[in-house]
Amino acid sequence: MSVDSTTTTQGTAHRNMTSGQMAWYRFTRNPAAMIGAFIVLSVIVAAIFAPFLAPSPQSAGSFVDFRNRHTAPNAEFWFGTDNVGRDIFSRVLFGYRVSLGMVIGVLGFAVPFGVVLGLAAGYFGGWIEFAIMRFTDVMLAIPPLAMALAITAVLSPNLINAMIAITMLWWTWHTRLIYRIVRAQMSEDYVEAAKVAGASHTHIMFRELLPNCVSAISVKISLDAGFVILFGAALSFLGLGVQPPTPDLGTMVSTGSEYLPEYWWEALMPGLAILYAILGFNLLGDGLRDMMDVEV
Amino acid sequence: MMTTTPILDIDKLNISFSTYGHKSHTLFDVSMTINEGERVALIGQSGSGKTVTMRTIIGTLPMPPATIESGSIKYKGKELLSLSKRERDGLKGAGISIILQDPLLSFNPVLTIGKQMDDIVRFADIRYGQNRSADARKKHIIETLAKVQLADGTQIMGSYPMMLSGGMRQRVLIAMALLNKPRLLIADEPGTALDVTTQQEILDLLNALVRDEGLSLLLITHNLGVVREMADRVYVMERGHIVETGTLEEVFSAPKHPYTIKLMEAVPPLYGSRVRDIENNADKNTEIKISNISKTFVRRGGLLNRPIGEVQAVKNVSLEINRGDIFGIAGESGSGKTTLAKMLLGLYGPTSGDIQFNGKSLNELRGTVEFRKLVQIVYQNPGSSLNPKRTIADQLAVPLHFTGYDKAQIKGRVAQLLDMVDLPAHYASMYPHELSGGQKQRVAIARALSVEPEILVLDEPTSALDVLVQNTVIELLHRLREELNLTYVFISHDLSLMRNFCNKIAVMFRGEMCELGATKDVFANPQHNYTQALISSIPVISAEEENLKPKLTKQERAAVLATSTALGK
Amino acid sequence: MFYYLLKRAASLFLVLVGLAILIFVIARIVPGDPARIALGPLASAEQVAQMREQMGLDLPFHTQLWNYLVGLTHGDFGKSLLTSRPVSADIMQALPATLELVLFTIVIQIVLSIPLGVLAAIYRDTWVDNVSRIISLIGVVTPGFVLAIILQLMASYVFTFFPVTGRLDGGLDFSADVTGLLLIDSILAGRPDVFGDAFMHLILPATALAAAGIGQVMRITRSSMIELSGRDFVEASRAYGVPERVVTFKYMLRLACVAPLTILGLEFASLIGNAFIVEFVFSWPGIASYGVRTILQKDLNAVIGVVLVSGLFFVIANLVIDILLGILDPRHRLREGASK
Repeated sequence: MSVDSTTTTQGTAHRNMTSGQMAWYRFTRNPAAMIGAFIVLSVIVAAIFAPFLAPSPQSAGSFVDFRNRHTAPNAEFWFGTDNVGRDIFSRVLFGYRVSLGMVIGVLGFAVPFGVVLGLAAGYFGGWIEFAIMRFTDVMLAIPPLAMALAITAVLSPNLINAMIAITMLWWTWHTRLIYRIVRAQMSEDYVEAAKVAGASHTHIMFRELLPNCVSAISVKISLDAGFVILFGAALSFLGLGVQPPTPDLGTMVSTGSEYLPEYWWEALMPGLAILYAILGFNLLGDGLRDMMDVEV
Repeated sequence: MMTTTPILDIDKLNISFSTYGHKSHTLFDVSMTINEGERVALIGQSGSGKTVTMRTIIGTLPMPPATIESGSIKYKGKELLSLSKRERDGLKGAGISIILQDPLLSFNPVLTIGKQMDDIVRFADIRYGQNRSADARKKHIIETLAKVQLADGTQIMGSYPMMLSGGMRQRVLIAMALLNKPRLLIADEPGTALDVTTQQEILDLLNALVRDEGLSLLLITHNLGVVREMADRVYVMERGHIVETGTLEEVFSAPKHPYTIKLMEAVPPLYGSRVRDIENNADKNTEIKISNISKTFVRRGGLLNRPIGEVQAVKNVSLEINRGDIFGIAGESGSGKTTLAKMLLGLYGPTSGDIQFNGKSLNELRGTVEFRKLVQIVYQNPGSSLNPKRTIADQLAVPLHFTGYDKAQIKGRVAQLLDMVDLPAHYASMYPHELSGGQKQRVAIARALSVEPEILVLDEPTSALDVLVQNTVIELLHRLREELNLTYVFISHDLSLMRNFCNKIAVMFRGEMCELGATKDVFANPQHNYTQALISSIPVISAEEENLKPKLTKQERAAVLATSTALGK
Repeated sequence: MFYYLLKRAASLFLVLVGLAILIFVIARIVPGDPARIALGPLASAEQVAQMREQMGLDLPFHTQLWNYLVGLTHGDFGKSLLTSRPVSADIMQALPATLELVLFTIVIQIVLSIPLGVLAAIYRDTWVDNVSRIISLIGVVTPGFVLAIILQLMASYVFTFFPVTGRLDGGLDFSADVTGLLLIDSILAGRPDVFGDAFMHLILPATALAAAGIGQVMRITRSSMIELSGRDFVEASRAYGVPERVVTFKYMLRLACVAPLTILGLEFASLIGNAFIVEFVFSWPGIASYGVRTILQKDLNAVIGVVLVSGLFFVIANLVIDILLGILDPRHRLREGASK
């Protein structure tokens, strides 16, 4: 129905743009996406250069300064200090290191695993599809936080185990996503054309089907990054993730919440820092989604 | 024609669209009149602006992004563009009504037909202060369904759209457009989504309705054959401009504008002097021998996915294809022609029977490199057969890579292939979306030829293309056959194209082959009733061709064609 | 419809069985001897061996699995190490609190997010759309526990009339024995004071729990409405003179509800998961609180019980959603049904 209008308008408005330039143009015209990109960049910079940027790098460890404990935010301590006088702003910068480390660790394993299973289920069909997809159905029925809690509790709570627990649950969403995209592609003639050309299964899966999943995967990763941070922080908040004195945002909220409501900044500031990072990844992911026009 | 007020009078309409801050002009000074009782066709290719025109008339043009820059549209002398929203809505469906192109997508999938039709009647009643009871409305709906020759109205009203056949949906859609007794009916590509025999029924029905109800008709289409059967006067639109107008006679017998001339020439003739007869001048040895082949699909369903029935897609087909033939396999959807093609490629195993290539059974050949060097395929839609995320070079390399070519050989061969299909060498690094439809199909042809096969299966290779591009692809295929000594198996529903492209033709009907022979003979003297019905249903663009088409009585047609007026299959 | 539901129920039952087996296997392959964990580090090797026998750990693996599955069929989850009571009894006690919280949350989600999504779609690219976008964004990106803390802070400074812990004020004497849900039982018992108090207790935790879903459902509703507004049948209805409000609220909204409902079903497990945190922060006496306590005590039987009951919830919720989808969109049941 709308073929007429879209083709003519696009043709005249941006005749000299390639689709890549067009996408980039749309991205830069989207203020939300640009804000997201800025936030993500700032978080990454904070994490990498924390030792240089932090006004009080020693606050990252088990530093104690009782003179300044429970100081409300001021010009010296932007986010205030905690119950032992450490600078919360500095700890937040270091906290981003832990958070981003977790994102890389979790998605580094969960995404490839989930993608390969989704490809296999969608491409082969039959009993392989049945086994993989029913298994992901089962995994989806488990409340993720409960499962992660159980795993970390049994394995003893620390950063690595928290990451293992989250990874074990995270791949299912990627499997579902990729499965859906691959199923839709299977009716396209280029899959059959590749078969007629004698292409191998691995060729079709990784060279023909996977490239068509890439934009969806990248949007999903961007959105996921925020939620992995959230999830890790939630685990730490319940005392089952990163252990003190490592500066973790969730642990900081948890410790700070003991001093509510008088010393509100001790829980609120790290909480807002988590929110800031998640917001950034979300806006970026949404911007990418609009730009690449994929459904995730 | 007297000088009464025309039912529709469009004067110098200019419309533009703005997206992302950029403005683009879509319609340029479009003027058009439709008189009472007149049938007018608006002809144009996709992107010409005919859909925008239609939406502006009916009042569903989304604004923004669209803006009406200037111009006027008068319905019976009333200026539509300055009407209040209430008055404008009052005309929808009641003054001007529309039949949209796709009979499935035009229905709300979650409501029964009856509910949807009742809503249309009910809200019009409210608007005009009528107070009909539910029973009276139902009676009116059943009467309207009867007008489109659907007798079991009650049952249809209780059905969901997905439960009806394509032809029935199209009929119901027409009934829906007629519910509130419009005076001007706009039909957007009527019947084009249907098989040609069903399309013929729909066109006949529309013509009868326009005549009996005294309607005016605006037909929007790219199919010139349909125009000849349906219109008194035509407008030709190209890129937002009306480039030619006149009576059907004037435009079709002596087109003036170069664009109209091009459009007319692009339509393959069915009969007459312009028809091109194809000969096979090669050695004529039997290359493919299909003996008694059948394919049965098992339908599964129910709780445990058990087999619940069988569909015989192909029944006992035998035929021989010679080296150098362009062998056409014709048929409508569901005739089994595609299944037959997939069996030729070894993608489906036959349930019984055998296929031999140069004396060797397909059973031995399947999956071998030798087989790949023997048969390849060109698909209907290059948008689907080319992977959107891989470069042209990558895609041409796939068959080469899996046939044992090394990197250097592949590179040379890719360049050679692009040259062969008349594409510049630098296209190798481009992605499909950077190419036009015709160029993409050239790439698909190059890919099929990459490992130097002897036989190409062509699955409607031009039907997804613009008419003007079709011919260039057909010419390319002819040239390649000469140069490379190829055999073509051409699968299509487009008989007028096949008449000019194939030297032999087989017609498939419900899984069986009902006609086989040299193309010339089949068209001159079709034996089977179905072949006759099929050929006679093709809309043609001249009276000369019309007269040469086989003539069938209603009974003869009914004997072979399932009508689209009855429920159930 | 019946056939369609039977098929859906069968596949959901499969999920439940798979879940039971999966949990059992995980519980057995984690490092550490359950008997040792149960008795603590001070127990002697003899006691541990005796405990192993008592717990059936010396039997072959498949026999253990079988006994466990048979036990499950009559609701036997074993004994809790924390409370020394049957796990099923503990869960039954904590269940109504969670049920009330979760149901209330879902009601909030649906009542707020679908209308907001529709409004955003109708007034696309206006301030209405922008405001609802910001609300949905805040909902999606705010971690449940951070929101919970913010709400508690606000309750202690601004909205002091909201209680921040528990289900009911200690001073009120009331026991909910009919359904276990305070809101319903208080009405049945004719106690408006209890109803009001329970309602006030629910608001903050339910808001904290609902936020993420509200944002998501709102966005999906908006984008489905926008997608639908470009469909042929919508244009056809408009062209036939069906009034705009009918097209929007009757034709489009009905189909636009399909995607958000599907998401609610899919994310139901996440909702229960988030309930763990919210219950923890608000000292809500539900199964999630029970779960966190037992997890910290490595009380395996109880943990398994909690996870399985959550799984059961998931399955029931999805079955309900399947029924709704079958009503909203007949294609669901026609496709799967016996029409063939």
